[in-house]
Amino acid sequence: MNRLLLTVALTVMMGGAFYVTPTVAQLSPTTKKAASVEITQGPEIERADSYLTVVRWTTNNPGGSPQHYGVVHYGTDPKDLSQTAKSPIRLNPSHSDTVFRVRIDGLKSKTTYYYTVGSMEANCTSDGVKSTVKHFTTR
Amino acid sequence: MREKMRWIAALLLSSAAIVALLTGTGLISLAVGTQETVNGQSARSVATGAKDTDGKPHQQSPPDYNPYPPGILPSNLNSEIARVLREVDFIEKRALVRWRALPPPVLTGQPPTLQNTGTEAIETLGELMNFDRNMSPGKNQACSSCHMPYAAFSGPIPSVNLTMIAYPGTVHFRAGKRTAQRYTYSPFFPVLQYNQDQALFFGGNFWDSRSTGFRLRNPDAEQAQHPPVDTQEMGNPDTACIAYKLSQSAYRPLFETVWGKGSLEIKFPRDIERICATPGGAASFGGDTTPVKLKPLDRLRANEAYNHWGQSIDAYEQSVQVSAFSSKFDAFVKGKYTMTQDEMAGYNLFKGKANCNSCHVDGRGTTLKPDQVDTSIAAAANPPIFTCFGSANEGVPLNPRVAFYYQTKPDAFKFIANPLGFAYRDLGMGTFLRSGFGAAPNPNQNWTPLAPTVDGQFQVSTARNVAMAPPQCPTTEAPGAIVNGKNVGYFQKEFFHNGYIKSLKQLVHFYNTRDVYPYNVTSGHCPDGTIEKVNCWPMPEVRNNIDMTTGNLGLTDEEENQIVAFLQTLTDGFTRPYANSDTFTGTCMTGGSAATQGNELLIPTPPLPPCASAVCGVSPTSSPAIP
Repeated sequence: MNRLLLTVALTVMMGGAFYVTPTVAQLSPTTKKAASVEITQGPEIERADSYLTVVRWTTNNPGGSPQHYGVVHYGTDPKDLSQTAKSPIRLNPSHSDTVFRVRIDGLKSKTTYYYTVGSMEANCTSDGVKSTVKHFTTR
Repeated sequence: MREKMRWIAALLLSSAAIVALLTGTGLISLAVGTQETVNGQSARSVATGAKDTDGKPHQQSPPDYNPYPPGILPSNLNSEIARVLREVDFIEKRALVRWRALPPPVLTGQPPTLQNTGTEAIETLGELMNFDRNMSPGKNQACSSCHMPYAAFSGPIPSVNLTMIAYPGTVHFRAGKRTAQRYTYSPFFPVLQYNQDQALFFGGNFWDSRSTGFRLRNPDAEQAQHPPVDTQEMGNPDTACIAYKLSQSAYRPLFETVWGKGSLEIKFPRDIERICATPGGAASFGGDTTPVKLKPLDRLRANEAYNHWGQSIDAYEQSVQVSAFSSKFDAFVKGKYTMTQDEMAGYNLFKGKANCNSCHVDGRGTTLKPDQVDTSIAAAANPPIFTCFGSANEGVPLNPRVAFYYQTKPDAFKFIANPLGFAYRDLGMGTFLRSGFGAAPNPNQNWTPLAPTVDGQFQVSTARNVAMAPPQCPTTEAPGAIVNGKNVGYFQKEFFHNGYIKSLKQLVHFYNTRDVYPYNVTSGHCPDGTIEKVNCWPMPEVRNNIDMTTGNLGLTDEEENQIVAFLQTLTDGFTRPYANSDTFTGTCMTGGSAATQGNELLIPTPPLPPCASAVCGVSPTSSPAIP
C-alpha cells in the first residue's frame, strides 16, 4: 500500500518523464532515377528585367539526389550561350512533377537573350534533358 | 521505515497537488508576481547591486554599452530582462523541487548504469543548468534567458523580437547577430555530415551548423557549449568558469550523482571569482582564451565537466519537457484528432502545391488524392521532425535592425563585437566552413572548398512549434487570438535567422511571393505605392545559392491562411500539458494585422558598403562575388 502510494505520488510529480520519446531521423532520400526526363511545360519566363530574371519549366520527377539544380545557358547571340546560371531546388519524392526555376541576376535592360535549360543532380550528374533554344527580352 | 515511506509519499502528493493547483488555476503567475515584489530587482540591478543572488558582494558593473541609434534598443528592455529573469528563477526553483523529490538512482552493473531514475536525474540536471542565471559573469543570464518554454524555447521578449533581433548578453547591451533558435527537437539533428552521393550537407546545430558534433558525436550537446563562452551571450572568459560555478551550485550533489564522485574536485586558483566575473573579450585578458590557470589534470577535469554540461543539457532538451511530440498533428496521425477543414486544407497544401514538405519532411507515405486514404503507419511509428536536417538560402533581406551592425565601438572592457559594421554579411554556413569572422572554427578541412556552395545557407528549422506562444495569448498572429469571444492578443515572435519576418502569415507569404514582388532595394526603401512584406520584397542579403523551390507558389490569400492554420497544429501541449509553458508574466499585444505586423518599426537600411574582405575575401571566395 505504501509502495503504491509512493509510486502514485512520484507519477504525479514527475509527469511527462514517463512518456517515451521516440528516436527518429528522417533525411531526404535519394530516390530512383526516372527512365527518362522530359520537359512537360515551358520553359517560360516568369519575369525578365535587369534586376531579376526567372526562367521556369516543369519535368516529370527526375529522381536521384534530393537537391537538383536547374541550369540555364544563355547569351545575346543564339550561337554563343556561354553564360550559365543555376539554382538549387528540392525534389519532392511524392510529387510526380518537378518545377525547376532559375534566377539570373543583373542582365542588361531592353536586351534580347537566347537560352536553353537543363537540370542535374547536386553532384553534377545530368538529368539528360535539354530544351531547344528560346529567347526573351528584358524590360 | 513504513512510517517514513508513508510520510514521504504524503509530502510528495501534497507538493504535487499544490503545483497542480497553482498551474491549473493560473496562480503560478501570481506566485511569480509575488516574487517580483519581494526581490524587486531589475536585471540591471543584479549586475550593479550590492549583493548577488547568493548574497556575496559583487563587483561594480560597468555603464551600459549603447552604441545604438535611437530605437534599436526597446524602451522596456531593462524591465523585460528582469521579468524573464524572475520567470527563469521560478522554473529553477521548480526544478530544484523535482530533484529533491527524485529517489536517487542506483549505480550498478558493468558498464555502470544509474538504475531506475538515472534518466530523470540527468534530464533534471540539464534543466537546473539551463535555468541557472549564476552561470554568467554578471549572474544575470541563464541559457533560458533567450529560450523560454512558452516560446518553444526561443526568444521570450516581444519588444526584442521587434527591435534588436538578437538578445542582450551578460554585458548590457552587447548582443549577438541572429535570432535565438528553438531548442525543441534540436537533439534529433545528426552529426554534421557531407553526403558524397547527394553532394549535400545535413545535420549539426545552430543556424550555421557550426556545432557539428564532431567530438561528442552529439551536435546538440556541443551547441550547449557555445553560448556560455560567447562574448555577446553569457560571456564567460573560460569554459573552466562553468566547471567552477557548477562546483558552487546547489545542485552539485546531483551533478556528482550523474557524472561521478569527484567529477568536480578541481583545484581552482584563488583569483577564480574575479576572472569568472569578468566577461570574455575583455582587454584585460590580453587575448588569453584560458585565463583560468589550472594544472593539467585539473584542466582535463574542467574540460570533462564542460562536456557533461553539454550532455546534461542535451538530455533535458531531448526529454518530453522540451521535445514533447504532443501536438494536434501527433494526435492526428494516431487517429485521435480530426483536423478542421482549414487545417486539413493547409496540410494538403503543405505537402502539395506549396511543396513545404520537400524540406520540412512530414514522414507521410504518399501525397493523397481526394479519393485516397493514407494507410501509412510510418508517421505514427516515427513521428516526423518536419525538417530535412539540411540548410538553404531562402533569400531573406538584410535586416538593418540586427543589433550586431552597430557594435563598432569598444565597450567598457575595450571589446568590439563587430568592427565591420554594415560591411558585415551573414553568409551562414559558408562563413563557418571558412572558419571565418564571427563563426566557430571548422573541424573538417575537407569541407572548406565547399564553402561557396553553401554561402547564404542557414539551417532548415523544424516546423514543429514554430507557432507556439504563451497560453495567455496563444497565437503569433496579429490582431490576436479570439478566446470565448474576446481578443486576448498575440505574442510577438521573430522568424528566420535575422528576424526579418514577424508573423507566420508573412512567412508563408514570403515563400509564396518572394519572386512575384522583388525590388532592387534594401529594407525600408520599398517604392511609394507598395507595402514592404505585402507587395514589395527587398533584395536578398546573399544572392548566391538561393533555393528556388519556393518564391512563386501561386497560393491565394486564403490558402496562405490555411497553411498557417496547419502550422499551428504542430504546437506541442495538445495531448498533455507542455512543461513550464505557464510561466509567462509579460504582456500580450493586440491590434494590427498579421500581414503587416511589425512594419511600423521598419527602419531604412543605410547605404551598404561593399562586403568586407574579412568576410567575402576569405578563400575559397564566393562565386559569383558577393557585393
